[in-house]
Amino acid sequence: MQVSDDVKQVIAKELKLPVERLTDDTNLGDLGAESLDVIEIVFALEEKFDINITVKMGADPATANAANASPGTDLSALTTVGDICRAVQALVDAKASK
Amino acid sequence: MNRVVVTGIGVASPVGLTLDKFWAALVEGRSGIRPITIVPTDRLNTRIAAQVDDFDPACFDPKFAHQLDRMSRFAVYAAREAMRDSGIVISEELALETATIIGNGAGGQNTLDDSYLRLYGQSAPRVHPLTVPRLMGNAAGSQVSIDLGLKGPGWTVTSACASAGHAIGQAFHMLRSGQVTMAVTGGTEACLTVGTIKGWEALRVLTADTCRPFSRTRSGIVLGEGAAMFVLERRDDAVKRGARIYAELTGFGMSTDAVDIVAADAGGASRAMTAALRDARLAPGDIDYINAHGTGTPLNDKTETEAIRRTFGADAGRLAVSSSKAVLGHSLGAAGAFEFAATALALQTQTIPPTANFQEPDPDCALDVVPNVARAAPLRHAMSNSFAFGGLNAVLVASRA
Repeated sequence: MQVSDDVKQVIAKELKLPVERLTDDTNLGDLGAESLDVIEIVFALEEKFDINITVKMGADPATANAANASPGTDLSALTTVGDICRAVQALVDAKASK
Repeated sequence: MNRVVVTGIGVASPVGLTLDKFWAALVEGRSGIRPITIVPTDRLNTRIAAQVDDFDPACFDPKFAHQLDRMSRFAVYAAREAMRDSGIVISEELALETATIIGNGAGGQNTLDDSYLRLYGQSAPRVHPLTVPRLMGNAAGSQVSIDLGLKGPGWTVTSACASAGHAIGQAFHMLRSGQVTMAVTGGTEACLTVGTIKGWEALRVLTADTCRPFSRTRSGIVLGEGAAMFVLERRDDAVKRGARIYAELTGFGMSTDAVDIVAADAGGASRAMTAALRDARLAPGDIDYINAHGTGTPLNDKTETEAIRRTFGADAGRLAVSSSKAVLGHSLGAAGAFEFAATALALQTQTIPPTANFQEPDPDCALDVVPNVARAAPLRHAMSNSFAFGGLNAVLVASRA
């Protein structure tokens, strides 16, 4: 679970919280994260893992699919820490299989 | 028509972060021009500027500071200082009737430079997610309104070196006509980036010496940065609450040269001064002091002298004229705000700040330019000139309170 641990470290650093407060079920909104914070977390994760997370602000949540992080994925699909871990893991796996 | 007064001034300047330090440096003719330390100079020919030292973003909440380009940090700091200085505690009702009109020349240049360095210099695949909200031209004005909770009309004025003059003038006219009850206005600029300085170098207007306005030995501009902000309110409101009044804003004149994108035109400058006098319902003989645009380029100061002579005729001989740019550098979109602060303080203290760094008179600038030493003098009315690249001119007139 190296990816998941690294993701949590990044989120904790961006939100200036101890990493122990983050579990897969932790809701980012409950931590006080606003949309710009989530965008910054996404940026930090892209830098860290050298991936492209193609979330958009304001896309239709009905079409959101965090696990595939497909174009048009809405930010609201990245609700919990676990959502983000799964999205990053999928992209890291996709990169490794190329 | 409402009478409009200045009751709060705040500065983030190259000569200090308080109004006292700012004014002391201007009166003493102590220049803020120093070797550049905030950006690497190894690729620059220019090694001097009037930079704002010791500006600590720790005065902001870290999350807020993170959203702010350097220009917005200057603006928010100066606006807070101006508001504090005014003594106004803003109510929800007043907030709805308060305008935020800020001048700025070129947006978040530090953000732009940093992003280009990443993108083109380091081939980074992406730039920071706050790039756009940090660099947009209205960012500083919007952040001031957010920070102070000002909900009346708000926009950003861009007219290069006259941006702040136009912004203050617009705010003044809105108050005078009754469109708003109060205004926070001024100018900000943070232009000391490698990219921006390179651009100015290429235009061949910067000097390696120092800024010497109106001196025969003048050789060009020295860039500066910072912000100055004002609280403007209706004179009746200020008197009723017993506020300290720096000066009354009495006139605003504008003109466009429509001649050349860089060279100033005496005709355009003169028309703006005449328009400001007319707006103030004053005659040339009523003005005792002009805070000149006075950039220190050979051409500007000669043209400005000609424009003053054309506007004031025989009265030009008894006018005191000084430029603050020897002390503050040329901070472009903030310059008119710094200089209007100097003008208001001159009226309040009845003291003319000198033209610093002055060496010898120039027959092409045959005016009383108050060389190097401040002068106590009875000042009834004073004028502040801003003549921008692009031929956009803004002239403010202020009167003793």
